[in-house]
Amino acid sequence: MYVIVIGCGKIGYHLTRALLASGNEVVVIERDAHRAETATEEFGSIVVASDGTEPTVLSEAGAKRCDVLISTTGQDATNLVACQVAKWSFDVARVIAVVTDPDHVPLFKTLGVDVAISTTELILSHMEEELTGGGVVHLLPLHGATATVVSVRVPPGSPAIGQELSALATPPGATLAAVIGKDGQPRTISDGLRLEAGDEVLAITPPEQEGELWRALTGGA
Amino acid sequence: MAANVLIVGCGRLGAMVATALVDRGDQVTIIDTDAENFRRLAEQPGLSMIVADGTSNEDLRRAGVESANVFISLTAQDTVNALAAQSAQLSFGVDKVVCRINDPVRREMYERLGLRTVSPSQVMTDLVLEALER
Repeated sequence: MYVIVIGCGKIGYHLTRALLASGNEVVVIERDAHRAETATEEFGSIVVASDGTEPTVLSEAGAKRCDVLISTTGQDATNLVACQVAKWSFDVARVIAVVTDPDHVPLFKTLGVDVAISTTELILSHMEEELTGGGVVHLLPLHGATATVVSVRVPPGSPAIGQELSALATPPGATLAAVIGKDGQPRTISDGLRLEAGDEVLAITPPEQEGELWRALTGGA
Repeated sequence: MAANVLIVGCGRLGAMVATALVDRGDQVTIIDTDAENFRRLAEQPGLSMIVADGTSNEDLRRAGVESANVFISLTAQDTVNALAAQSAQLSFGVDKVVCRINDPVRREMYERLGLRTVSPSQVMTDLVLEALER
């Protein structure tokens, strides 16, 4: 893949390294001259010391033939504009933005950003999972719908273990999407599928039925 | 009817627009991240100056975006203006939104996406060309 990375700060730097290591063609655009120089020492000529929100800069970086653009700066405004220019002026198929202020996530999606990654939300969702030992973890709000993709881990001792899925009292608005076993292997949903301890159940559910879903899968009160 | 206007950016342009709108009888709130920039304006009835960041929804709310019917983003940075204006238009549903975008390619794109834009450098270029004709 040909990937353009905007911003060579902490996220952009490690992302560029990882993308190169997995065999991608990468150009990284960094506005700060000093940071760009440091990056050039490591990555060589793929570093462009310039402003990645400028159409002329993106054009010279070959935005027209790029498969993915990822904007990783600490400024939401910069990340939004870089993605919008890439998407709407250069027809880049997939644009991804790091979002600092979680308030901006729905707006970015409305404005054509394919993936808006809120670092705050990521950390919070991991914390939720770690601290509650398996509550309902929000994975992805669905654009244009009130439902959210969530994950629930089946704890040892849950009355749901060994039951057929069709026998569980899951709420009517919730759709079970997949079950990922402890081994990390996904299993397709079928009525006869039986849950095991440690299974992670992915489901699409409206927020008001999350509690009921959680009780059905964990037996919790 | 007097408008309730929120202006982002108190540079020379923002300050001039704010003054002109207050003179016209509008209720104007102008925000800037740097309080120093408010030196360009005199305190007067109909004008509030608030230190706030136009790219933060929380700050926009604090500056009264929810009761504004006109939103004008005039900082020197296209990126800040684009985020602020699109937040006002889509997240807060402000009726009339005007956004300063200097870069011509970006400007054409934002017009296409339904944002009303103004470009001081374009206006100046036109005026210079016109002056040369005379």
